[in-house]
Amino acid sequence: MKELYNTNEAADEAVISLEGVAFGYDPEHPILHDITLSVARGQWVSIVGPNGCGKSTLVKLLNALLPKSAGEIIISGQRLEEDTIGSIREGIGMVFQNPDNQFIGATVEEDILFGLEGQCLTYEEMDVRLKQYTEKLGISGLLSKHPGELSGGQKQRVAIASILAMKPGIVIFDEASSMLDEGSRNELLHILQGLRNEGYTILMITHDADEILASDRVLVLHGGSVAADLKPEELFLDQELLAKCHLREPYPWQLARELRRLGIETDVPASEKELIETLWPYNYSK
Amino acid sequence: MAIQLQQVSYTYADRSLWRQTALHDINLNIAKGSMVGIAGATGSGKSTLLQLFNGILKPSQGTVKVLDVTIQAGEKAPRLLPLRRRVGLVFQFPEQQMFEETVEKDLIFGPLNFGMSPEEAKMRARQAMTDMGLDLALLERNPFRLSGGQMRKAAIASVLAMDPEIIVLDEPTATLDPLSRAELIGLLERLCREQGRTIVIVTHRMDELLPYADQWALLKEGRMAFQGSGQELAADPDILESCGLSVPHSLRYWNAVARRFGLEGEKPCLTAESLAERIALLQAEGMRDRHE
Amino acid sequence: MNERLLLGRSIETGSWVHKLDARSKITGMLLYLAIILISHSWAAMGLLAVFSVTVMLSTRIPLKYFIKSAKPLRFLMLFIFIVQILSVKEGEAWLTFGSFSLYEGGLRLGAFSVIRMLFLVTFTSLLTFTTTPGKLNQGLEGMLSPFKRLGLKPDRLTMMIGLALRFIPTILDESQIILKAQASRGADLKELPLKEKGRMLVSLLVPVITSAFRRAQDLVYSMEARGFRMDAPRTRYHRLRWGTADTLFVIMFIIMGVAVAVL
Repeated sequence: MKELYNTNEAADEAVISLEGVAFGYDPEHPILHDITLSVARGQWVSIVGPNGCGKSTLVKLLNALLPKSAGEIIISGQRLEEDTIGSIREGIGMVFQNPDNQFIGATVEEDILFGLEGQCLTYEEMDVRLKQYTEKLGISGLLSKHPGELSGGQKQRVAIASILAMKPGIVIFDEASSMLDEGSRNELLHILQGLRNEGYTILMITHDADEILASDRVLVLHGGSVAADLKPEELFLDQELLAKCHLREPYPWQLARELRRLGIETDVPASEKELIETLWPYNYSK
Repeated sequence: MAIQLQQVSYTYADRSLWRQTALHDINLNIAKGSMVGIAGATGSGKSTLLQLFNGILKPSQGTVKVLDVTIQAGEKAPRLLPLRRRVGLVFQFPEQQMFEETVEKDLIFGPLNFGMSPEEAKMRARQAMTDMGLDLALLERNPFRLSGGQMRKAAIASVLAMDPEIIVLDEPTATLDPLSRAELIGLLERLCREQGRTIVIVTHRMDELLPYADQWALLKEGRMAFQGSGQELAADPDILESCGLSVPHSLRYWNAVARRFGLEGEKPCLTAESLAERIALLQAEGMRDRHE
Repeated sequence: MNERLLLGRSIETGSWVHKLDARSKITGMLLYLAIILISHSWAAMGLLAVFSVTVMLSTRIPLKYFIKSAKPLRFLMLFIFIVQILSVKEGEAWLTFGSFSLYEGGLRLGAFSVIRMLFLVTFTSLLTFTTTPGKLNQGLEGMLSPFKRLGLKPDRLTMMIGLALRFIPTILDESQIILKAQASRGADLKELPLKEKGRMLVSLLVPVITSAFRRAQDLVYSMEARGFRMDAPRTRYHRLRWGTADTLFVIMFIIMGVAVAVL
C-alpha cells in the first residue's frame, strides 16, 4: 500500500490545496468559482454558509465525487487527475448527512468490510482493523446488527468506523450531525475531538455552533466562493457575517452580547458559575 | 381540552425484531390554544405518541379524546376523516410527501380530500402560504425547485391549508439552519397566539422551544416522565438528564441566576435577551441597595 | 411494520447450521425442494416433518419465527386447499352435501399441497435466518462462478441483490410513513371509494420513487467515497470454506431424498 503522507515533513504542510477551482456546467453561472485555499495537516476546519452556497459540492470535488470544471486540486502532495482518483479517495474518508443512505452492508460488519475488501487487504489485516475500529467507536457489540435495529447515532458511528478503518489522513463530515438527536450530536462532537488529537485533518460542513466553536478555523462560503476565512471566535463576534451564513453564536456568546448591549461589560462566560462569579464577585446579598 | 389521553397504552401488533417503542399508561392533557413541547431521547416513543392524536394509530388500552372525538381501545373507532382535518399531523421531513407539479396543487390536496370546494381550497392555500411566511409567487413553482427551508415551510403549509384546530409536528426544524429554525418556531408560535391553534411540537432541540412552550411532556422509554410548565421544568432540571436529555444552556444560566437571587418563583427568562435584561435589573437593584 | 420485514434478516445464535458454508446450505435447500416434490405419502410427509423440525430446532432459533415466515401465505394455502378438495374426485366419498361430495383423495392432495408449501417456506427461511445476506450472496456468487466463462458477472449480480435486500426494508418502512402522512392529509386508502384510490396511489408513488432516487444517489456517493469501482479486484473477509460438516449436511439431504422416494 502507498504511504498516504510523509511523516517527516513539517506539520504545517498543506494536505489540501486548491487553486482557482470552479464547478458548474454553465460557465456563465458557476456553482463554485475561484476557490483558492489550503488546509494544513491536523487542522479542523468548519465549512459554513447558507444552504445552496456550494458547501457540499466543494467537499465532493476533493475526491472527485463531482468533477471540477477548472483549477487545480492537490491532496497530500498528489495532483487530482484521472489516474490519481483511486489513491486520493483512499486518503479521504467521508461521512454524509443521512445515516441510512450510507449504510452499504446489510450488517455492521459487512458495512465496515465494504471499504476494506475494496482495498484488497488480507484477512488478518481486515480482522485486526475490524476489531480495532469497532472498539474505538464503541460498536463492537453491534457487529451482526442490521441498520434497521440501530439508532441514527449508532449508524453514524458505524459510518465513521467504516471510514477510519480504511486509514485516511483526512476525514470530511458533510452535515453528519444534523439528523441526530442531542445526545448523539454530543457524542459525535466527542469523537471529533478525539480524532483531532490523533492528528486527523478534519473538514466539517455544519450549522452547529458547538461544532464550529470546537474547530480551529472557519471557511465561510457565500455565493459560490470563499467569503471569509477566520477563527470561530472571530465569526461569533461578527453579527453581519453570522446572519449571512444563517448561523447563531452559542448561548453564552449571545448572553455576553446582550449584556454588553445593556452596558454590562463581560467576557464570554465559560459556564454559568463563571458568569455569576464575574457579575457578582462579592458575596453581598440582595 | 384539545387532547386528553387517559391510561393509554400502545403496543405494536406484531412484535417484530425491529425497533418499535410501545407506550405504557400515558396520561396527558393538552389545553386548547396552548403550545406544547414533547421531548425524549431516541426511541422514547415520541413519534408513536403523535400518531395517536389523529387516529392513525389506535390505543391498545385506554382512551384518547381529541376535540369532541373519543377513541377507546377495543371499541370501533368513529369515522376518522373529519378528525384528521381538524388535527393536522406533520411528519418528520414533510417535504418528502410532496408529489404534485406545483406548490399550489400540493397545498390544495388535503383541503380537497376533506371536501372543500376548489375555490375555498385555493383561498386556504394562499392563507397558509402567508402564515408560513412564503411568497405567493411560489404557488406556481414546482415544489422540487424550492430551497430546503422553503420546501419544509410549504409542506407544513399543505397541512395548515386544511385549517386544522390542532397542529402536531414531529421535529419540524430538523436539518434546517439555525436562523430558519428560529424563524419556523416563530411562525408556529404566531399560529398559536394569533389564531388560537393548539400547537404540539416534538423536538430534540429543547433550547429553541423553551422560551415559547406553555407546557412540556417528557417521555422516557414509552412512559411519561414529566408533564408541566417550563417553570416547573426549570425547577427540576435533573429530570431532563434522567430522560437522557441534556439541560439546555438557557435553562442552566437562568437557574444559576435564579438560585443566586432566589428568583425560583418567577417566570424563567429563557432567551439571552430576556436574561440579560433581568441581570441588568438585578445589577441596578444591587447598586441601589448598596447606596441605601 | 410487520412480518414481511423479516425478509433478508438473519438471527444469530451461533449454532452449527449458522457456521456452515452458504453453498452447502443453498445446495441443501435445492435438494429439499426436490424432496418435497417427490414425497407422495403420509409416511414420507411424516418423516420429512420430523427431519425438518429437528433441523430447525438445532438452529436454536425459536420455532415461532419459522412459522411466522409462512404467515403471509396463509390465504394462498387455504385457497390451494379449497381448490384441491373441490377439483379432485378420487378415492371414496366421505361426505356428500347434495351434488357436492368430499373425496378422500381431494382431502389428501389438498393436505399434501398445504404441507408442502408450509415445509418449503418455513424450511427455506432457515437459509435466510442462519446466513447473513452477505454470506448468502457470497455463496451464490461462488456457485455461479463457473458461469463467468459464459460472460455472466456473478459479483455484479450479487452486489445488486445485496443492495436491494439492504434497502427494501428501509424503503418499505418509509412507504409506511408516507402512507400515514397522506392519510393525515385525508387520503386514506382504506376509507376511500375505489375510483379515488388510483389518484391516491400517485400521492404515494411519487414520494416513494423520488426518495428512492435520492437514496440511490447518496449511496453511490458513499460507495465511491469508500473507493468502490465496478469490477475492481476485491478480497473477501469471509472466505467460502467447505468443511466436513458441509459434506455431511448435503449427504443428509441426499439420504432424506432416497428415504422419501422409497416410502
